[in-house]
Amino acid sequence: MITEPSWDVVVIGGGNAGLVAAMAARRHVPRVLLLERASAAMRGGNTRHTRNVRCVHDQGDDYTPGTYSFDELWRDLCAVGTGPANEQLAELTVAESATLPAWMSEHGIRWQRPLAGTLHLGRTNRFFLGGGKALVNAYHRTAAGMGVATWYEATAEDLVMDGDRAVAVTVVAGGQRRRVPGRAFVCASGGFEANTDWLRRYWGDAADSFIIRGTRDNDGKVLAALLEAGAQKAGEERGFHAVAVDARAPRFDGGIATRLDSIPFSVVVNSAGRRFYDEGQEIWPKRYAIWGSNIAGQPGQIAYSLWDAKVSRLFLPPMYGPASAPDVPALASALGLDPEAVTRTVDEYNKAVVPGGRFDPGGLDECHTDGLDPPKSHWARPLDTPPYYGIAMRPGITFTYMGIAVTADARVRTADGAFENVFAAGEIMSGNILSTGYLAGFGMTIGGVWGRIAGRGAARVASGGTSGGTSGGSDG
Amino acid sequence: MDDLPLPVDGPLPADGLFAEARRQLTICNACRYCEGYCAVFPALERRTVLEDPDITHLANLCHDCRACFTACMYAPPHEFAVNPPAVLSEVRRRTYDDYLPKLPRPPWTGLPWMRGRAGVAALAVVAAAGVAALALAVPGGGPAGSPYRVIAYPALLVLVALPCAWGVAVLAMAAARYWRQTAGSFRGLLNGRAWLAATRHAATLRYLRGGGADCSYPTDVPSAARRRLHGCVAYGFLACAGSTIAAAAEQDLAGVRPPYPVVSVPVLLGIAGGLGLMAGCAGLIWLRRRADPASSDPGMTSRDYGLLIALEILAVSGLLTLVLRQTPVYAGVLALHIAAVVTCFCMVPYTKFSHVVYRFLALVHDSAEAPGRQ
Repeated sequence: MITEPSWDVVVIGGGNAGLVAAMAARRHVPRVLLLERASAAMRGGNTRHTRNVRCVHDQGDDYTPGTYSFDELWRDLCAVGTGPANEQLAELTVAESATLPAWMSEHGIRWQRPLAGTLHLGRTNRFFLGGGKALVNAYHRTAAGMGVATWYEATAEDLVMDGDRAVAVTVVAGGQRRRVPGRAFVCASGGFEANTDWLRRYWGDAADSFIIRGTRDNDGKVLAALLEAGAQKAGEERGFHAVAVDARAPRFDGGIATRLDSIPFSVVVNSAGRRFYDEGQEIWPKRYAIWGSNIAGQPGQIAYSLWDAKVSRLFLPPMYGPASAPDVPALASALGLDPEAVTRTVDEYNKAVVPGGRFDPGGLDECHTDGLDPPKSHWARPLDTPPYYGIAMRPGITFTYMGIAVTADARVRTADGAFENVFAAGEIMSGNILSTGYLAGFGMTIGGVWGRIAGRGAARVASGGTSGGTSGGSDG
Repeated sequence: MDDLPLPVDGPLPADGLFAEARRQLTICNACRYCEGYCAVFPALERRTVLEDPDITHLANLCHDCRACFTACMYAPPHEFAVNPPAVLSEVRRRTYDDYLPKLPRPPWTGLPWMRGRAGVAALAVVAAAGVAALALAVPGGGPAGSPYRVIAYPALLVLVALPCAWGVAVLAMAAARYWRQTAGSFRGLLNGRAWLAATRHAATLRYLRGGGADCSYPTDVPSAARRRLHGCVAYGFLACAGSTIAAAAEQDLAGVRPPYPVVSVPVLLGIAGGLGLMAGCAGLIWLRRRADPASSDPGMTSRDYGLLIALEILAVSGLLTLVLRQTPVYAGVLALHIAAVVTCFCMVPYTKFSHVVYRFLALVHDSAEAPGRQ
């Protein structure tokens, strides 16, 4: 093992949270190292696939017209799944989000107007120009300019602990095991969704059918090391952000292009040809993330979205293209479903649609069913206009929530306190805030807010200060 | 084992090119993250099906700023292998000549570098010999420093105007064919607002701005260098054209014959234009050499060099005729410059210069399609 010179702050993970933490730390201490497990070309973890961030803003601007208050974001967060896991930390996240866009702009991020076809997101979410990889590129340029060192293809394997202090991280880089000492450490290494064996502990064989939307590097190595060292768990074991993706998507890294947004305008059936969940329960950004679980709960972890010509322009077109047919039985056959069962389901649904309601793809409308179980509460119109379209869907896991518990200053908690100099940010600690369900763009909020808190805290510890105190405070 | 075809690196077969472009653009349309960079992605999103002429239109709308490639999480080594600047520049290169009228091809148009270095050289030699022969056959007159002392005005006029008219006519026919194939009706060409908008976008090189982030050229670090240098070339070229028009006006309207003093419209425009061309072309060649070959089509790269080198030769030889007009070598330098001009006019429809025509028409088409875009 090679022993490297010592660093003030070592950040494990080069996604949004890690990059933010490294830059925030570098404002206060000179020697900051970022460990990126991927190559330079594939850097950025799951952040590569993101596109926007959800933040409180009192005033609208070109990119997020209208206001989005603390109270409203808080209500939106409480309305997903079973609500925030730790209310204090969730409130802190929402409050700190207000200053995040300006901080991001200062660190090189540019913005663009909400993308066409992303209904309902324009007022609440800011889109970064070019998406997540452009954001990662910009942050890397800024970080390099500030003097942050980055190692690529560097895998953190373990933390070397001395009581409640970490003294070094063990890194495999350049084919060598290296002991990288530091004064403080930020773990921003993501969830464990790319580790099928780990998922199988909570999901059984269903885990084999899951598609991982992001990086194959998120195998939970650092999370496991922290738990081993006595860190306290946070979050639901089965908690994750998972959406419906094209069943033909690659096993890893398919990202946004394989996601299906047809559901609210379609009828969704399982492999038996039966409906199983209200497709039109809420506007899509508040409901899209339950469909990963919905499909994971169906036989064979597969479901089928069926729509007709009337709505085919209302959502982003799927990259592999849908199956199409002139009538419903032929579509069912094309998808490998029982034509009779699907036709029966569609007929029942069509009969239950209450005619004459106002159809509005841009908001909760009046089109609903009557006497159908489960109902379709909005955007319910008969499937009657050929050609008919359909796609097979699987659960696409974005990231897992089960991670490590943190304090309000992002230090990793133990059974009876917290590690002195080990911090966490991003997906690895998202289980403190999210329980079940997801709110579009909030993963980037968690990464940005907690990256700043963790980076500042780590710098404070590294420069000899105490780790306690408030998490707010100026970054300037 | 022997009968297994080896995987071949390099250009796709032509029939697979549009299929590959369609594959990539379908991924782009399912993603849309690059919507803010330029006009290509919004134009893509307006289309439900992508026919070959749509792909050609998008390819010509693409200014090769590469912001999308740098931002793309699906770019190689990702298995989706999305690389719009490369595939669209290959589409452009393969389709540029499709719109030229089906005239008998001059023999020098067969090879890639301006369709053949040997052909260009031969043409240049022929042009130079022609200029020399004319100069000897039709003795001119005039004060020292006047071109007409070297070659008589009518001879010079015919020598330059004929290839110029030919080049312009061939490009005009190409423009008409391009418009018919990509936009359909000629009525669309009557949209004055679209022309205004397209002129503004072309004049400001709006789509070499990467949506405000500047373009990722020549490296992935955003830079305004290419836009500025391209501006030098474009405005330098226009100033040189303006210089020629001003000289014609002085001579034929005001009755003032050359040589014109340094402080005169033709000479000042010529100096500014020549310097702009010289600096711009040299800068663009330098950027081209540094640019990532992974997002370039090799055939287009050689065409880029061809045009830039030709413009550089025009600029340098033009400036030399001015600087050396009172010296004994003036006649030789002027003959070379005229030979270069004649050669370039003969070549112009077969060079990268045609991108001016196709890209401008793509901008008109786009502006007509999306009047909301400023």
